[in-house]
Amino acid sequence: MFFNSLAFAIFLPIVFFLYWFVFNKNKSTQNALLIVASYYFYSCWDWRFLFLLVFSTFLDYYTGIQIEKGKSEKSRKFWFWLSILVNLGFLGIFKYYNFFASSFSELLNTIGVKASPILLEVILPVGISFYTFHGLSYVIDIYYKRIKAEYNFVDYSLFVSYFPLLVAGPIERATHLLPQVKVKREFNFQTAKEGIYQIVWGLVKKVVIADTCAVYANAIFDHYTSVNSLSLILGAVYFAFQIYGDFSGYSDIALGVSKLFGLDLLRNFNYPYFSRDIAEFWRRWHISLSSWFRDYLYIPLGGSKGGIWMKIRNTFIIFIVSGFWHGANWTYVVWGFINAVYFLPLLLSDSNRNNIDTVQLKFNFDSVRVLMNIVLTFLLTCVAWVFFRAKTITDAVLYLKTIVTNGNFSSQYLDNERYNYELLPMIALFVLVEWNNRTKVEPISGRRSMLKLAIAIAVIIALGTYSDYKEFIYFQF
Amino acid sequence: MKKFLIYTVKIIVITALIAVILDALYTLAFMQSRNRGKVETVVNSKAKKFDVIILGSSRANNHFVAQMFEDKGLKTFNYGMSGGHLFEASLMLKLMIERKYTIKNVILEADLNLSNEHQAEGIAALFLPYIHNSETIRKHFENEEDYNELYYVPFYRYIKYDGKIGFREAFLTAVHKKTGILDNLGYRGLEKHKNGNMKNNIVNLNPLPHNKYYEEIKNICKANNINFISVMTPMCENVKGMNYFDKVKKAYPEIYNYENVVTEDKYFSSCGHMSDAGSKVFTARILKDFFGKE
Repeated sequence: MFFNSLAFAIFLPIVFFLYWFVFNKNKSTQNALLIVASYYFYSCWDWRFLFLLVFSTFLDYYTGIQIEKGKSEKSRKFWFWLSILVNLGFLGIFKYYNFFASSFSELLNTIGVKASPILLEVILPVGISFYTFHGLSYVIDIYYKRIKAEYNFVDYSLFVSYFPLLVAGPIERATHLLPQVKVKREFNFQTAKEGIYQIVWGLVKKVVIADTCAVYANAIFDHYTSVNSLSLILGAVYFAFQIYGDFSGYSDIALGVSKLFGLDLLRNFNYPYFSRDIAEFWRRWHISLSSWFRDYLYIPLGGSKGGIWMKIRNTFIIFIVSGFWHGANWTYVVWGFINAVYFLPLLLSDSNRNNIDTVQLKFNFDSVRVLMNIVLTFLLTCVAWVFFRAKTITDAVLYLKTIVTNGNFSSQYLDNERYNYELLPMIALFVLVEWNNRTKVEPISGRRSMLKLAIAIAVIIALGTYSDYKEFIYFQF
Repeated sequence: MKKFLIYTVKIIVITALIAVILDALYTLAFMQSRNRGKVETVVNSKAKKFDVIILGSSRANNHFVAQMFEDKGLKTFNYGMSGGHLFEASLMLKLMIERKYTIKNVILEADLNLSNEHQAEGIAALFLPYIHNSETIRKHFENEEDYNELYYVPFYRYIKYDGKIGFREAFLTAVHKKTGILDNLGYRGLEKHKNGNMKNNIVNLNPLPHNKYYEEIKNICKANNINFISVMTPMCENVKGMNYFDKVKKAYPEIYNYENVVTEDKYFSSCGHMSDAGSKVFTARILKDFFGKE
């Protein structure tokens, strides 16, 4: 059941009605309903993996309590590592086992040892990377005594399985979401209205921007050997907007839906393509994951303390692990590595926190410099996205090489029976709208919100891509 | 909560209103269309006279060189539609009759397309903008699974087939941007490709014994005193021995088998589609056999 499906359009009002009119007696009934709804939502993909989700939830719930109750450090450690190993074990088996087995086998073959890997015939459970990270952060926080264990299983289950964030985040923190589910939610008209704005804007991003860009990006990436330099450059740009529209659109819908139930989720995107350097980009892109890795990997590794080599090592570790988190493919690892390389000069010059304010432009030379930095940062991310999108590293390298060697920058009729440049006006308009509203969560709220909402709905209906349906990209992670 | 429910109702009403307005705008654009495709050219036309009309799929569109008919003094247009099935060919002929076309001969490419009776969605969609303006189109779609949604839900058809009749097509139609579909009297000649796919497994393909739309076309021709010529057109060497064409001949003895008029792969762009050179050889034979023109 996708957020942009008819099934969800039926599911959401039903749950909304039951939540505010039938199960609104206290927080327990509200939570119980949301749990049932969330499990139903999840089982629409594959009910068999519901058991995995419930098991994972129970494991972290139980080990969390045992860690807190643990009288000796040895006992606390035992439950802590049990949770970590089982969680990562599931992730490893379902997501990474086949990759490691075939990579190891390839390595053996390269050095002359004949080997054929034993592969598992498993499909990746939807959202496993997200709910595993929910559980991990919870257990780690208890172990380091940052939070208290949750003793109410229903409340804890809702924290892990809450349907708006279940399959593609944002990756919530117990400190943020658990206190909210511990109290009865009261309906707030203003919050619900904001939720509607965010849902509608998320749909614009998904069905208008992402899915339309996908039609062109696919036509270019799938035939990169037969298209010219301009098409290849545009292909990378289109993919950049596809993945942004897709994932930030999903996050907007998730946050908006959650507001309808009176629960506030962590913001996941903050106009990343207006970043002035890569460090700023990573503070604005998939914020919940970046901050997760910062808090649970980078800082425990020593963070930016220690010597220069320690800083470099830690930077590469978090970017590569972050890349690998996205999928079991070397292309993601290289994507992470490239971002680490981009980040390195900022780290070494101690300027990675130079741009923490909102971009302001005026009519002066400094603004020209800022604008150029934004464009440069965007282009750098586009180069990295080529590795993210390509099937293999070789494909990505050839793709980039052809941009340079082909040298033909003319318009081109693509395999999808469209010209390569056709989407540029739409993207320009989208960028303009986002730029003018970069201080807000979405561009619909504020003055004349009803008119802007009507325009957004008209845009979704008229300009959305529906026949060439695309799943949310991050569901596969 | 009451305020929110009223607000939600407002949004629903606005959405419905937008759908109705967009539906009207898109339909208006398509009603003005003259130079983008074969369907709108027929839908938005008045009575015309033809000696020969060619109908069928891409194997009609790419195989009958309409200009060669014209050169022999036969007013001809190739209405074959790439990707189309007999569902669309039948509807096209019905629309011509509805618009009082005078047609002496209909040549129908009837071979692979006899194996199904369903619509080719991408092509059938091209008729949908006119579903409220043509009783013929409405009736033709009446028994389709999603007819109610297509007919009654405003803008649904433009959303469902956005790739074919969505914003891009409506916009280009509104600005009268021409396509090449109507060039060469509807015929689209193909080039010989070095890497053309010369494989097509039709061993398990079977013609339906009484294809509804084939029979419809036949009956329309009979009722309107149109000479009906149905032919099977050539395929590449690879399919020889797969006896699909024999099965067609057995089920439909009146269909002329031209499978072997052009046999060498050098005349094919892909297995099911002759190149321009092959089509010329084939069309010359058709002209000779049915119209006595050499």
